Amino acid sequence: MPKPNIIRFWHGLLRLLVTVVVILGIFGLFLWLMGRDPIKSYRDTFRLNLLNPRGLAEVVVRMSPLLLTALGVAIPFRAGLINVGAEGQFMMGALLGTWVALNLPGLSQSLHLLLVILAGMLGGAVWGAIPGALGWANETITTLLLNYLAPLVVGYFVFGPWRAPELAMYPQTPEFPPSARFPMFFPGTRMHLGFFLGLFFLLAYGYLISRSRWGLELRAVGGNPEAARRLGIPVERWIVGAMVLGGALAGLAGIAEVAAIHGRLKMAISPGYGFMGFLVNWLAFANPIGILIMSFLVAFIASSGFTLQLTQRLPYAAVNVLMALILFTVLAKPFAKGVRR
Amino acid sequence: MKRVFLGVLLAAIGGWALAAEPCLVVGMIIGGTKDDAGYNQSQYEALMALKEKMPCVEILFAENVPEGEAEAVLESMIQQGAKLLFPAGFGYMFPALNVAKRHPDVIFMHPGGYMLADNFGTYFSNVQFAYYLLGVAAGLMTKTNKIGFIGGMPIAFVLGNCNAFHLGARAVNPNVTTYFVVTGAWLDRAKEVAATQALIQQGCDVIGSHLDSPIAVAQTCCEAEVFFVGYPSLAVQKFCPEYWITGLGLTWGDFFVEIAQQVLAGTWQPAHVRRGIEAGFITLGEFGPKVPEEVKKVVLEYKARLISGELQPFAGPIRDQAGNVRIPEGTAWGPLDMGKFDWLAEGIVGSPK
Amino acid sequence: MSWFLSWLSGAILYAAPILYPTLGEVVGQRTGMVNLGLEGLMLLGASISFAVSFLTQNAWVGILAAAGAGLTANFVYAWLVVHRNASQLAAGLALMFFGIGMSALIGKPYVGQMAAYLPKYPLLGPKSLVFRYDILVYFAFALAPLVWFFLFRTSFGLKLRAVGESPAIAYAAGVSPAFMRYFAAAFTGVMAAVGGAHLALGIAGTWSEGMTAGRGFIAIALVIFSRWNPLRAIIGALVFGGAVVLQLQLQAQGIGVSAFLMDMIPYVLTVLVLLVWGRGVRYVAPASLGRVYFGTE
Repeated sequence: MPKPNIIRFWHGLLRLLVTVVVILGIFGLFLWLMGRDPIKSYRDTFRLNLLNPRGLAEVVVRMSPLLLTALGVAIPFRAGLINVGAEGQFMMGALLGTWVALNLPGLSQSLHLLLVILAGMLGGAVWGAIPGALGWANETITTLLLNYLAPLVVGYFVFGPWRAPELAMYPQTPEFPPSARFPMFFPGTRMHLGFFLGLFFLLAYGYLISRSRWGLELRAVGGNPEAARRLGIPVERWIVGAMVLGGALAGLAGIAEVAAIHGRLKMAISPGYGFMGFLVNWLAFANPIGILIMSFLVAFIASSGFTLQLTQRLPYAAVNVLMALILFTVLAKPFAKGVRR
Repeated sequence: MKRVFLGVLLAAIGGWALAAEPCLVVGMIIGGTKDDAGYNQSQYEALMALKEKMPCVEILFAENVPEGEAEAVLESMIQQGAKLLFPAGFGYMFPALNVAKRHPDVIFMHPGGYMLADNFGTYFSNVQFAYYLLGVAAGLMTKTNKIGFIGGMPIAFVLGNCNAFHLGARAVNPNVTTYFVVTGAWLDRAKEVAATQALIQQGCDVIGSHLDSPIAVAQTCCEAEVFFVGYPSLAVQKFCPEYWITGLGLTWGDFFVEIAQQVLAGTWQPAHVRRGIEAGFITLGEFGPKVPEEVKKVVLEYKARLISGELQPFAGPIRDQAGNVRIPEGTAWGPLDMGKFDWLAEGIVGSPK
Repeated sequence: MSWFLSWLSGAILYAAPILYPTLGEVVGQRTGMVNLGLEGLMLLGASISFAVSFLTQNAWVGILAAAGAGLTANFVYAWLVVHRNASQLAAGLALMFFGIGMSALIGKPYVGQMAAYLPKYPLLGPKSLVFRYDILVYFAFALAPLVWFFLFRTSFGLKLRAVGESPAIAYAAGVSPAFMRYFAAAFTGVMAAVGGAHLALGIAGTWSEGMTAGRGFIAIALVIFSRWNPLRAIIGALVFGGAVVLQLQLQAQGIGVSAFLMDMIPYVLTVLVLLVWGRGVRYVAPASLGRVYFGTE
């Protein structure tokens, strides 16, 4: 008899909380191993990144792209696909969104923003569709390849046809017109529309995946494609569709980052948001609430990395090691039953 | 949870009470690492020189800061009391301007920028002018009349350096051709090695570069027994002392101290500060063991003329590769024109894109 | 003609540091394991080889240290995959993060230093400027046919490949999938680390953070490009090495070519290969690639 939903819910929440506590514990252990004072480090990060309104806002700013890229991985994941291409989809979304931002003058902000958002989603969607359509090739590998092509394509445009002439000094596009910039909220912080879009899609995902027929079909494809096919579910179409949707959200993350934070397209727009999104999705087991919590946590860790560089002279590279240790620990499933030892 | 909160509160108060007050909190962010024997290291060293000369100053420092994070890190430094900030990377200009708008009481000094605000100034060395001297040395040392230049990215400062290198060489050796190659990244060792080898295969026997760090170029030149000039660090000499001709070091002099003192005295004014060899912003390195005395003499002569202002490296008429006059006769480009280069001078082989 | 020779000379040199991880990953994937952490392993190899070479002033000790580190690190990956049924991709990414971060920390004190390097031996007589390589370059090209022979002409290789096709059936035939996977992981770890070490000690002569510039991922692409065959991997590596060199040589000759377009070549070629031979790829790839094996052994 399968567990009733309410027990599954609490079980999932408990698992999430345990994961968070374990992660914070590893963080402390790691700091201690690096010769830093863990207590003071925690105090510093809490003080500057959590209890401080501006610091907290910055964590949220870093969390915004993660919400979307994690969704970009979660949706294909539910269909049984592994999308490691969020990095590339991020950049292609930024690329197409930039074209719309720069080449459609004279529009009202709401219309322009809408078009920019759609263009960003389209860019990412196309980049996700390619591996989806190459059905016979393992999508893990094709998405990975496209990750490499994307920055080269962006580089070509940023250095070449789209380069801002007044900035012969530096490869970037001209600045976006104000109508194409994402509005910011809470003056004094950089919280922007991208965060709310992320929340919106997260809610939509949460609702649709478990309570709609589409969600059911998607999960059926992921669970057992043969059975799904026999039930008449168009499996191939769902595979491409899942990649398209995932890519679209990762692409939105990309254009959001550019339109909100940078204001122009340049090469250096993603410090690994695609991979971090994969990590978030993985830690959250594709669960919507989990994605929310884990995006925050990963963003918090990344912010702490900078804070601790200032207060504890901890090299930023340590954050990468930390993420690795967290992932190793979670992967090792120390509390799982039924896993052969 | 409440205990933790109280603990944090007490610790914060305690920490505040116990800490001695520094006379000034100065912060810096760089995009690379502080020991790259290049641009980033020069900024870091200038910062440390400031600390040495003014021990009451507290330093906040972060490296490897991606451009998207710059605003957040700068804000964090301001929170910790920073009143003078050096966002020491070209790509930080716009993020730093944003932060500057929000904090009119904090002074920002940005290297290489081209915008000013009430609390935002820029500074840079007139590298291109000094690079002319390296060109003079190269023109005299080359036996094949082919010299090479490796740039990181085809931006104006890089093209300007290549032009200066070429013009300097042509001033003493009208038959010189300069070959220009771009690696596409400020730091990609493997590509730097391949670029150097490509130039050497073309016949170049003196190599100059504008990268974050010239180490890989120096070592490749060493193996191929080809001369090189160093920029932006003099520390690279030790990687190949035999084939080193000379080089330029970004030394920034006591500039940081000057700025800190201005901030403390309240006399700081926003400006584009551009200084060169004459002010110690750049230092011409000592000569390598294989450089003949006559060459040294000529280079030093040119250096003296540059310092006195008599020498104008970018005096017209100067044509580009297509033959169009870019700097007309009777005019000369000065330090503030260095951002205008999107062309290469006549006699250079390579593409400015 | 000399233009071609100098290009080929450069192509071979730049092929070596990517041939190593490609060979390693070919063997790994032949047992059904996809390892996204090659980049991390290469960086670990580069940083450790440089640091140890600096400290001992002996390049070979550095390379051995790097090989050991790569082996150990990849064993963590293998343990997670084999004994904890972890997702290979997540485990690989964890390894990637680990390698990137750890290498930066290890290499920090050695940035901008000189270490002991590998001596070079000329192929065409002592006076030639081209075709002068260190031993690791020669070894890489000698290793590829050896790996091919091992995989396709020995019974051990057959058993290894069987695990990649179907661990369950291999197990039923008396092969231990766990042992084969650990064996392959050891090889992959050593190869990737040696590739990184060669980049640091044999080509670049320095250490910088992230200096492999994505080669670990390119290697995965090359594994597909070469369709899991070590001999074709040689061609793939040469294509990659050649593209790097070609771009710079064209520039040096004044031919304006966008660096970005040139850099795209290896990836575009791989995607084309997938499209053209695509339908066959499903049958050529080891059938159990990427899947978690919930076996009893």
